[in-house]
Amino acid sequence: MLQKNNLENISDNELLEKFKLDQDSQWLGILLQRYTLLLLGVCMKYLRNEEAAKDAVQQVFLKAITALPKTNVEYLKSWLYTIARNHCLMQLRDKTKWVTISTEADIQDNSFFEPFDANKEQTILILEKALLDLNPPQKTCVSLFYLEKKSYQEIVALTGFSLLQVKSYIQNGKRNLKTIVIQKLQQL
Amino acid sequence: MSDLKNILSNSNSIDEQLFQKYLAGIASAEERFLVENQMAEDTMVNEAIEGLQNFKDPLLAQNYVAQLNSQLQKQIGKRKKRSFNRQIKEQSWTIIAIIVVLTISLLAYFTIHLLHHPLH
Repeated sequence: MLQKNNLENISDNELLEKFKLDQDSQWLGILLQRYTLLLLGVCMKYLRNEEAAKDAVQQVFLKAITALPKTNVEYLKSWLYTIARNHCLMQLRDKTKWVTISTEADIQDNSFFEPFDANKEQTILILEKALLDLNPPQKTCVSLFYLEKKSYQEIVALTGFSLLQVKSYIQNGKRNLKTIVIQKLQQL
Repeated sequence: MSDLKNILSNSNSIDEQLFQKYLAGIASAEERFLVENQMAEDTMVNEAIEGLQNFKDPLLAQNYVAQLNSQLQKQIGKRKKRSFNRQIKEQSWTIIAIIVVLTISLLAYFTIHLLHHPLH
């Protein structure tokens, strides 16, 4: 029997590999349990009903258990997110008939790869300059969040922006910074 | 300015306890930053936290997680049992086939033996 601590150190991809090798469903159980809370949160965000969200997660698990043995999944987290999101949107579409279904490609904006070495001194210097190129709200929110380690609520209080605006400025600011850094590094 | 590195970092590890503390509003400043940093870089985490904040009672979310995990284990258990039964079923045909072949071989041996050494 595997110890809990040992399992925590095994990555998703390693567990998927183990499952592919021996087809033992216990690996799937360990994998999926890692995402129960996140999936419940995502389903709740869309469905806004606690029971419906719980049922949706069960459906996502069923789909995953059925599909994973036949599918080659590279990033389990984003794959599960896509399934959960599409399942919820399908349910909402059945009710409202207007929601469009997203594909995996257009919701994978949370990049799971590192195109550059963030620890390189050169990268940090470029980043420092790039920060100045952001528009003022993004620059303010990114600086307060990453450099001064302020919480979302503190930034809301300091800037007068709404919580949604703060989140948006941080996410977009971060994305813009990454784009600028990649461009500058390519030019070198 | 070493904190600038945080902007380019991608942390995909999920710490449920940390999320629960954040949701309950008892996370320290450092823990809160860790969660919000993940929210800023990961759409799934961001949406999940927003969704979990919609639970009227944070304890209910924890209960649901426990229930879902328990149901998942049952499903996995059933699947394993089905797989085991299927294996036994497949193997039983192999065993039957071996017995049939051995029986035929023995019968053939005795038949040939009797032909060469008939009983008096």
